[in-house]
Amino acid sequence: MTDQVVQRAAEAYEALAELAETIEDESQYIADLTDAYLPSIRALADLDPGRPLTADQIAAVDEAIAEIGLITDPHKAIDWLSTFPHVVALALGGDVDDEVGADGPEADR
Amino acid sequence: MRFQDAAKDGRAIVYAGIQADPLVARLAALLTSATAAERWLARAAMNGERTEADVWRRIFPSLFGEGEATELRARAEAILDASLAVANRGEAARSSYRGAVVEDLTAQLLSLRGGAAAPDASVRRERRVLFDGVPAEIHPYDVTVESQTRPEVYDCKWGARGINADVLNQLDDARAHAGEEDVDLDVAIVVFDARRSCEIRLDRSTANRAGTRLVAIEDMSGLAGPRK
Repeated sequence: MTDQVVQRAAEAYEALAELAETIEDESQYIADLTDAYLPSIRALADLDPGRPLTADQIAAVDEAIAEIGLITDPHKAIDWLSTFPHVVALALGGDVDDEVGADGPEADR
Repeated sequence: MRFQDAAKDGRAIVYAGIQADPLVARLAALLTSATAAERWLARAAMNGERTEADVWRRIFPSLFGEGEATELRARAEAILDASLAVANRGEAARSSYRGAVVEDLTAQLLSLRGGAAAPDASVRRERRVLFDGVPAEIHPYDVTVESQTRPEVYDCKWGARGINADVLNQLDDARAHAGEEDVDLDVAIVVFDARRSCEIRLDRSTANRAGTRLVAIEDMSGLAGPRK
């Protein structure tokens, strides 16, 4: 269940980055944000794997996904590339503040 | 080194009207004592596509869930209400309102220091810093703490994307010029965004920023504490 909702969040984040990339002047910043946050979002799937998510947590992430899916302005998309990972992390009780290291959850993917 | 009011052009006069909107001070006051999660709620709701409160309550179950204490939930509701009021000003006005909220929040937090932390300091807005023999800066500082002994200047940004070389250079130049006058000027950039995003932005900057403090959304409460 956690894997699935996190996967949906990661896919939504990638779509948001694609929209943001239309602002060519910020392509480096967008790439840097995506490189940093996408692994961190994916790593949220490994939070406390024995504990199932509540319905409220899943609904929160899906609602956040729906919110960024409505964005059409690429400037706003850039803003949300920073906001969305933290909103998802809050909903799931994790954080996306740190780099996912070589010995972290991403190493197994 | 001395502080001076910035001359107001037409744009500044319009912006002053936004800064004076009671909504700005109301939201900023609520955010002075907010948790990081509540500040993320404000950031998200102020810049959301949807302005229905129930949407945001669902996105932030840790703030609005059934198990949350009444007092905490009431505070989150007040922050959400004010944030959505900003969003409802419309896309064109939002960015100005958001910027004004970050500035006002910074000023309110700095004003909370009081007492021995800043005995001679007044917190001011939209002020220039002048140095002998140095051309005046183009942009005024959003917030200044005008202490005789330990002055401070703050540039405030809604998001990490607002961090740029011009801002960093102006802050660093001010610090350096103050040093030439034997004044220890504290310079900082306050960003209502994730520290991680700010650091990502800063990592690509070649501007000199070694003496510039970064205050991100997670750190803002520290502005109300003693200067380090």
